[in-house]
Order: sequence, then C-alpha cells, then structure tokens
Amino acid sequence: MAGFEPQIIAFCCNWCTYAAADLAGTSRMQYPANVRIVRVMCSGMVNPLYVLKAFEGGVDGVLIAGCHLTDCHYIDGPTKCDAMVDKLREMLHVLGLEDERLRREMVAASEGVLFARVIKEMVEQLKKIGPSPFKARTEALA
Amino acid sequence: MEEIRTGVYICHCGLNIAGVVDVEEVAKYAGQLPGVVVSREYRYMCSDPGQDLIKDDIKELGVNRVVVASCSPRMHEPTFRKAVEDGGLNPYLYEHANIREHCSWVHDDKELATNKAKDLVRAAVRRVCRHEPLVVREAPFTPSVLVIGGGIAGMQAALDIANGHQKVYLVERDPSIGGHMAQLDRTFPTLDCSECILTPKMSDVGHHPFIELHTYSEVEEVSGSIGSFKVKIRKKARYVDESKCVGCGDCEEKCPWKVPSEYEMGLAKRGVIYIPFAQAIPNVATIDGEHCVYLQKGKCRACEKACEAGAIDFEQKDEIIEVEVGAIIVATGYDQFDPAVISQYGYRRFDNVLTGLEFERLTCAAGPTEGKILLKDGREPESVALVHCVGSRDQNYHEYCSRVCCMYALKYAHLAKELTKADVYQFYIDMRCFGEGYEEFYNRLSEEGVNFIRGKVAKITDDAVTDEEKGKLVVVSEDTLLGKLIRVPVDMVILCSALQPRADAENVGKILNINRRADGFFLERHVKLDPVATPTDGIFIAGCCEAPRDIPDTVAQAEATAAKALSLISRGTVTLEAAISTVDESICHGCGRCEEVCPFSAPSIVSKNGVMVSEINEALCKGCGACAVICPTGAVTIKHFTQDEILAQVDALTEAR
Amino acid sequence: MEVLSPYKEATEVILEAGGEPLKLCYQCGLCTGTCPWNMVRSFLVRRIMHEAQLGAVDFGSEDVWTCVTCKACVDRCPRGVEIIDVMRALRRAVASLGIGVVPDALRISAKNIAGVGNPLGEPPERRNDWAKDLKVKDFAKGTEVLYFPCCVPSYDPGVKNVARSVAAIFDRLKIDYGLIGTEAKCCGEAIRKAGYEETFQSLAQNNIDLFTSNGVKTVVVSSPHCYHTFKAEYPELGGEFEVLHIAQYLASLIDKGKLKLSKELNKKVVYSDPCYLGRHNHIYDEPREILKAIPGLELLEFPDARENGLCCGGGGGRIWMDTPKGERFSDIRVEQAAEMGADIIAVACPYCVLNYTDSVLSMGKAETMQVKDIAELVAEAM
Ligand SMILES: Cc1cc2nc3c(=O)[nH]c(=O)nc-3n(C[C@H](O)[C@H](O)[C@H](O)COP(=O)(O)OP(=O)(O)OC[C@H]3O[C@@H](n4cnc5c(N)ncnc54)[C@H](O)[C@@H]3O)c2cc1C
Ligand code: SF4
Ligand code: SF4
Ligand code: FES
Repeated sequence: MAGFEPQIIAFCCNWCTYAAADLAGTSRMQYPANVRIVRVMCSGMVNPLYVLKAFEGGVDGVLIAGCHLTDCHYIDGPTKCDAMVDKLREMLHVLGLEDERLRREMVAASEGVLFARVIKEMVEQLKKIGPSPFKARTEALA
Repeated sequence: MEEIRTGVYICHCGLNIAGVVDVEEVAKYAGQLPGVVVSREYRYMCSDPGQDLIKDDIKELGVNRVVVASCSPRMHEPTFRKAVEDGGLNPYLYEHANIREHCSWVHDDKELATNKAKDLVRAAVRRVCRHEPLVVREAPFTPSVLVIGGGIAGMQAALDIANGHQKVYLVERDPSIGGHMAQLDRTFPTLDCSECILTPKMSDVGHHPFIELHTYSEVEEVSGSIGSFKVKIRKKARYVDESKCVGCGDCEEKCPWKVPSEYEMGLAKRGVIYIPFAQAIPNVATIDGEHCVYLQKGKCRACEKACEAGAIDFEQKDEIIEVEVGAIIVATGYDQFDPAVISQYGYRRFDNVLTGLEFERLTCAAGPTEGKILLKDGREPESVALVHCVGSRDQNYHEYCSRVCCMYALKYAHLAKELTKADVYQFYIDMRCFGEGYEEFYNRLSEEGVNFIRGKVAKITDDAVTDEEKGKLVVVSEDTLLGKLIRVPVDMVILCSALQPRADAENVGKILNINRRADGFFLERHVKLDPVATPTDGIFIAGCCEAPRDIPDTVAQAEATAAKALSLISRGTVTLEAAISTVDESICHGCGRCEEVCPFSAPSIVSKNGVMVSEINEALCKGCGACAVICPTGAVTIKHFTQDEILAQVDALTEAR
Repeated sequence: MEVLSPYKEATEVILEAGGEPLKLCYQCGLCTGTCPWNMVRSFLVRRIMHEAQLGAVDFGSEDVWTCVTCKACVDRCPRGVEIIDVMRALRRAVASLGIGVVPDALRISAKNIAGVGNPLGEPPERRNDWAKDLKVKDFAKGTEVLYFPCCVPSYDPGVKNVARSVAAIFDRLKIDYGLIGTEAKCCGEAIRKAGYEETFQSLAQNNIDLFTSNGVKTVVVSSPHCYHTFKAEYPELGGEFEVLHIAQYLASLIDKGKLKLSKELNKKVVYSDPCYLGRHNHIYDEPREILKAIPGLELLEFPDARENGLCCGGGGGRIWMDTPKGERFSDIRVEQAAEMGADIIAVACPYCVLNYTDSVLSMGKAETMQVKDIAELVAEAM
C-alpha cells in the first residue's frame, strides 16, 4: 500500500478537543495533514448519521473526540457519546468496516500533545490496514 | 429563495499562515466554488482594513454569506461576526475556517497544508449557505459574586467588588481567612511585615457590609451558568455560636487536649477548641470535631464550663446555604510540596531540616520560638544551608519553576544573618529574580556575605567523614562552577519546597466544571490574552490556584478578576446562546426522549391543540445537542448545528478537490 | 589562555552514537553529587555532559571509561537525562571510530568475547563443564526451563558454585530444566555498555537464534545483567521469551510452598542490592523474602539499601578493568558490612560475588566474612 494517505474526519467538541487541537497548533506540534476537523459543540452532539455519511463519502477513518467524562461543558455529553459509539460500532461491523476505523477519544483542552499523538497513531494504523472498503465501492459506483 | 452570495476571505496572518499555505491559490480556488461571488486574501483580516473588506463587500457586492479562513474561531469568530453585523447582516450568516492552529502551524509541507486549507474552506462555504439568521437573546445578570478561598487573592478580589457596592459571598474552608500570607513573617523584597499589611485587609473583609463571609465552609455544588449560578455552601458545624463568642480564648486554655497547630506548621500545639491565630477573622473559636473527646467519646465538655458567654453549642449541625450569583472567582491557592518523598534530603528524619513555611514560623515574633531561630535542642545555629528547587524544576516531581523560592530563600538568608549571625550557604541552580526590586535584593544579599554555591544538592547526611562534620548536617553537592564535589557541614537546612496544586483541586475543578493543566493547576482561557478567565464563562481564577506566584502578582490577578466581575455586573445582562434547540412540531411525536436526555431540563412535553409535542424552554437550553441526537423523528434540531449543515460540511470534506 | 571553541562535529558523533538525551541537561550537578565515584575520587558527570554538548570531550581521558552504569544518577536527574546512554555513546565513539584509546584490560575482554563468546577467553566447548558431574540434561524442545548461568559462574572456578547451587536446588525440587548447548555466548549486556555495539548485536543474534530454534519459552538466569539484556534489549531484536531472575523464581517457589528451607543458618547476613536487579529492574523484595525464609538467619540492611544501594563497581564493563585499591566501591561495602557485624554479604549477581570476594580477601577479612549468592544460601538451607 505504498503512498496510501488515509483520509480522516475528526468530530471535536468545542470546549476540550477543539481547544486541544488549537493548543497543538500554538505549540507548533507537527502531525500528519490527513485529518480534517469538524467542530461540534459537544461530543454528545455527534449524530451517527454524520459518521456514516463520512464513511459513505469514502473516508478511511473517523475520530470522535471530546471532553473527559467529568469535564463536559454540558455535564454528560461524553457518556451519551460513548453509548452512541457502542451502537454505531455494531452497525459498522455489519457494514464490514474494521474497528480501527472509528476511534473514540477524550482529549482535554490542555492535552495538545495527546491530540497530536492520537492523529499520528491513527494515520499509522490506517496506513497498515489500508483504504476503506467503501472507497472502492463508491469509486466503482461513480 | 434568496440567491446565495458568499464572500470568502483568506487571511495571511503575516507569515503565520502565508508562510506555509499558498493563500493566493486558496483564494483563487474558493473563488470558483458555487455561490461564491468574491474571494480575497489579505495580510491581517482581523485588522480594521481587513474587516472593512467584509463590510464593503456586503454593501457593494450584495454579499449575504461570509467565510473567513484564519486563526482559530475560538480567537476571532466573535470579531468577524461583529464585522458581519456592522456590515448589516445577521452575525450568524458567518462561518469560520481554521487554517492556522489546525493547518499552517501543525504541518510544514506546503502542498499538503494548502490542500487542507482548500478542503476546510470548501466545507465552510458549503455550510454557510445553510446558515439562518439567529436572534441573540439577553438575560439579566445576578449582581453578586462568589469568591472561593480567603487568602490574599480571595480577600483582595472580594474587597474590590464590595467597594464597588456589589454583593460578595466569600467562602473560606479554614476557621479564619488569611491563607498562607497569614503564616508569613516578612515579605520579600521589601521585608515588610506580612501581618502589618494583611491584618487591616482581613479586618475590612470581616466588617464589610457588602461581604457575606462564610468561614469553615465549602462550596458543595454549583449549577447554572454565567449570570445565574446557583451555589450550595456547606457551613460546617464549629460547635460554637459565632454570634455569642467574644474570642477571649478561655475555652482553649481550659481544653485539656492539645494537637499540632496547622497554622504553626506543627511546631506548636493548639487546643482542640481553638482560635487559629491572634488576628483570626472571624475571631471566634472552633471545635475540631475530629479530635474533640466529647464529640468522639461522649465525655469532657471542659470548654463549655469555661465559656462565660455560653457560646459552646454541641448540638450545632452542618448547615447548607443556597445563594445565587452572576460570577465566581476561584482563589483556592496552593499546597506546599512535602519534601519527605525526596528521601536523600532527610526531611522528618533529621530534626533540623525544615521547610520554608516552618522557618517562616520560627522567625515570626508571635511564633513558637518568639522569633528566635533555634535548633530543636534550643541552640542557635552557627550555619544554615538553603536548598533551592526542592520538588520544582524536576521532572520526578514538578517540572515547573515555583517562581517564589529563589526570592524567599534570599529572604531567609537575610533573616538568618540578621537574627543569628550564622554563616549562610545558598545552593541554587539558577537565580531567578525577575520582579521589581528583586535583583537589587539579590545584590544586597551578596553584600551581606551569603555564600552562593551553584549546584543541586545531592544529599543531606549526618554521616561525618571529618571531625568538623561531627554532629552536623552535611550538605553534599557539586559546586558546578568550581567543578568539585563540595561538603558543607551546617546546623540547619531549609528546603525551599515547591508550591503545588491543592490536594483537592481536582474535586473543586469538577464542582465548578473548570479544567486543570497537566501540572494540576487551573487552566486559564488564554495564557497571554485572557489569563484570569477560565474556558467556562463567568468563572475566573486568581492567585496561586492558577500557578505559583508571589504576592504582588497574586494581588494584581485578584484585582483583574474583580474588574472582570464588575464589568459583567455593570453591563447587567448576559448574552444567551443563540444556537439552541428547536422543535418542528409537525413531526414531533411527543415521545419525550428529549426530555429524558436533556441535562438542563429544557424540553418538556406539552399538549398543543390536543397533540403532545415537545417544547423547549429557551432560557434553559444550552445547545449541547443531546436531544437532537436522540430524537427518533428528527424533529429536534440545534440551530446553527443542524443535521443538514453538518452533513453538508462532511459531504464537502469527502469530495475531491 | 587556552581558548575553547565548540566542536560541532564531535557533538554530532556523540549524538549519532546514541547520546541524544544529553541535550536536555541543564547543568545542575546532581549527577556528580549522586555518583558513587565521588566518594573515592573526582568524577564530574555533569561536566562530561557539558563537554559532550559542546563537542569538547577529551576522548583520551579515562573518564570515558569510568561510569559503572549503576543508574543512581539517572533515577534522580531532574531533566530525565539518560546519562548511561550518553556514556555508552562516548565509548562507542572511541571503540568504533578509533578516536581516543580503549583501556588494555577492556580491549582484551572485548577481543575474547568477540572471538570465543566469553570474556575469560575460555574455549566455548567447556561452557557447561561446571556441571559435568551433575548430569544436568541438555535443553531440548519441551523442556520447561532453560537455566542460563552467565559466563562468570560457567568458567570462573571461584564462582562456579553459584551455578552448581542452582542445579542442586532444581534437582532437589525435580524441576524440568536444561542447559543450552555450548554454542551459547555471552549475553552481551556489559560489552554493549562498554561501547562495542557490533559485538553485542552479533552475540544477541546468536543467542536469540539458538533459543528460538530450541523452542525456549522460559529462561532463568543468575546474573541481573543477563536478565536486563534478555528482558529489555533482546525483544527489540526479535528475542521474546519469559525471563526470570533466580531470585524471582525461588521466591515464587517459596511463596507457593514448593520450596521449604529447613536447615538453620544462625548468621547475620546483609544483602547488597545489585544495580541491575535493583535500580535497573526494580527487584528489591524477592531476594529479601528468600533470605527471610531461611531459619535462624538475621537479615541486616545497609544504611543505603534498595534504591540508594551502592554499586559493587562491576557494571558497564568495569568488571574487566582495573580499579586501584582505595577506589573500590566493594571495599566500602565490605567495610560497612564489617562495622555492622555481618557474617555474610549476600548478593544476587556473579559480578558482585567476584568483586566482594576480591575485597574480602584483599582486606584480610576472609576469616570473618563470607560472600554468598542467594542461590548458594538456599542450597545450603534445604
Ligand atoms: C515559604 C514561602 C514564603 C513566601 N514568601 C513570600 C514573600 O515573602 N513575598 C511574596 O510576595 N510571596 C511569598 N510567598 C508566596 C505567597 O505565599 C503567595 O503568593 C500567596 O500566599 C498566594 O495567595 P493565594 O490567596 O493565591 O493562596 P493561599 O494563600 O494559599 O490562600 C488560599 C485560601 O483558600 C482557601 N481554600 C483552599 N481551598 C479551598 C476550598 N476548596 N474552599 C474554600 N476555601 C479554600 C485556603 O484555606 C486559603 O485560605 C511565599 C510562599 C512560600 C511557600
Ligand atoms: S543531573 Fe541531569 S541535568 Fe543535572 S547535570 Fe546531571 S545530567 Fe545534567
Ligand atoms: S551511572 Fe552510576 S557510575 Fe555512571 S555516572 Fe551515573 S552514578 Fe556515576
Ligand atoms: S462539551 Fe466537550 S464533550 Fe461535552
């Protein structure tokens, strides 16, 4: 899979992970340019449809990241998000997508280093497992 | 349907963006996206001329949607919304693309960064078409402030606000206000007596008509948000009626039980019923329930007999007080690092190895030795060593610099010389004397003949290798300037221990919903430009709960938080979140899932024309979006974050350039 | 006046040889103050870090070879500088690039290891001679445990008894164990620290291939040095097997009630923590548990025990180099032990056995003081 550059969409909550990504920026940490961040107000706001849409569009991985369990600006968004992700995983299984393609993380506003690391790890992992099977399908359809 | 006419503005941010992202190319690319009528790049979009570009295009080109690609929206989204509004559009017809923090600053490959910027802009353009005008609502701001912590930071903030004739609730955990500053003897670099400058302030706080002081109390629960926080305060039972106690101290004298005094750092004892120190505010006694023999074992009540005022009340129970405030100031301060974990320094193993605060009590005229610097055996030390950076600047403990230790070490060097004529050896790594008059103070101490040795102390031992070392504490270090191992026998060693986050900082953070940095101190909203605010609106931080600092900086921060709170109060209202939930009643089933899931009880199921539907209380909704995810029919949407908008954004991101 | 200018090329050589961590050093001198050498002679660790930062290292100096890799400084360094890695990098620069000089004694040991696979220069086919009369079986596929005694007990007549004791214990407990063929070579831990990276690589590869082809799953070792390299360094080269130090193995047998010690030993015993068992691998309790299980034995503790334990002086290849009288850490330890009234210094490392025995003899204390590996004490107490 030489030269394969995975495409990642990250849904990041405004209060923690989006801020952590900002911090990674202000601290000039380098991480691979494969990720595109979509800002949501809370991880509990992420609708499974958004993730499915992303995969349908052919992305290789999706990250959902927000505050730690007790840090949420809206009290318990992360718990709701976890429940949503659990269900979504089952669905992705049925669709034949590997587990690694959907990653759920909690990254606090101060954890710029962690954000950069998560992206690096994800890119490496996705490089190992190769392009999303959906990509081929969508391309075939097109 | 209105025709979408989008204006796109790519910021260079000097070279911050333009150095990596090919801004001209991004602008050119944006120009040919559907709906875009104008696309420009400019040096600094946030500058006045930059903002004017937007305003002019709205007026002259009929632009009705705006996208700016620049730094983080957490920085300048408000700026550009304002510009859009000034240009005559609804401020919500705006979308931001972050091509600095999320792009040019984290990627150095120009091509990849430029491509990413294009993608982000494309997605923003796609999303902005779907934005709807929103109305910004205002709610009244409760004109009162909660201050947590009654150290110098909390007191100063409370006084500033109260002097502006606004109500303050000051909650202090200990029986008295004062914090660490009340334990200090003299303060660097001026060496003025801490008590002399602090006592009048404490007394002002105690008597101020606009300050409601709750000592021996803790904040237990906080709900609500800026403008109207609801706070539960637990006032712990002190078993003494504050209104009757006259502070005479008879009870403490008669109390047969003694325990180490926290205020005296364990160097003296106090009664189980006690007034922590002479200038305590409030000047009333408190029974330490944990050690009280009557409360624990049912026999004693000696204090009750001693109290002529009849103030003792064993029936007293914890009390919960509920208040409502518009803003909160956190000023919970620091803990001193416990050097016992650095076993080679022998703290607690050797009698005459002390921490800074312990030494502070020794030099204080009202302290356990009446201001005499004495060894445990009552002798005066002939030589004293000061060890810098104990637990600071050390990744095994705390990586940060505690900022005040170099200066208080110099202060102790001076006091040791003044009060005992001892030889003083100061072991430092770097001298950090950054404040006003600090370098001059260092200079003065050199003049006073302190021996400065550059090296981090490796160990303190009583294992003598020469006759000279017998009966002494030997401080072992490399003198890095001489390149020699040095052993200095002394009588007393003072460990300049780090300042560290309060042991319960995590819990306080949880109650208030504010974050901590990796070092454990509370996180500010912006290190440089918003240093006393937290990411949570209406909650501010002052003093050492945010990072170690000296008194001048602590006071300045406290005053800054007071100014912030007063400015909110003087405005009188708060802007409420506009991006909140709304229900399409035509598809709502009234199933009530939204009601179950909402952490703020905003939705409720009501009957409208005989049909059960959800109704959102706009004052309560914060826009977290939980209801929209759970709603089985898609009747609930979050304005500005609608499904349609986010799906469009995702869709745009997956497309080929 | 002598003027110094930074010499970037030299710094680069050191960085390339693995000295990267030295960049972090902020020159506090804690390492110098912590390093045991400064009890007996001057050794300015901090200054070496600075010289390396500026490329001003004197590669001809004996300081390059002084560090015993005891890890005392590394555990305390406030900047987390891996000082041992820096020291090793300096040595690599000398050993592989030929700048400066390798001490004669070390050069000979290095030659022996590279040539015949053991530092003593003994013939490889005699590696298992220590067990000739014991009828220990050769390791074969399916044997539960491989016992790997280390070159010193294998060849050194004075230390042989350590290995023989282990064999005796295993035989008594009917443990299914074996010895690997004479193609085994030195584990390479110390020669790597001495800067001979290529030698290490080839030793490690030889042993890994040998173990793997024989289906080794569990190795029990007598030397903390073998333990360290098997556990921390071999996996990176593809050698994955369970590694247990004899102290761990015996302690767990005692714990499970399989090993019972019944013979009394009415002696005062002080245990000296080997650096590679203690600080390098955090094994402090097991050896003590074993000693406490011996009836009658009174266990003493050095004032600087465990994390603060003093090195015997044998790590980092120093075991092969000469340390002048008056500078031997083991002498200090023996003196301490004598003052405490100890009859026996117990150790758990063949290098410690060598060094302490040497000190006891040269200090004329052989009448009153013995040096024993814990395996020897256990064998005697069974
Ligand atoms: C040894 C030493 C010597 C020093 N000498 C000097 C000097 O000479 N000059 C100088 O400028 N600075 C000096 N400093 C620094 C000085 O102590 C601090 O700058 C100052 O005390 C910080 O004040 P603060 O109000 O932020 O914190 P603190 O003094 O720690 O006060 C915090 C208060 O909050 C209360 N509190 C904590 N948690 C809670 C809670 N959950 N609920 C309610 N209340 C709570 C505490 O009981 C305390 O009263 C010295 C520091 C040390 C360690
Ligand atoms: S202890 Fe660490 S930081 Fe200090 S001089 Fe030694 S190597 Fe440098
Ligand atoms: S590892 Fe031990 S011998 Fe080597 S420099 Fe550090 S303290 Fe000294
Ligand atoms: S606000 Fe970050 S997860 Fe809820």
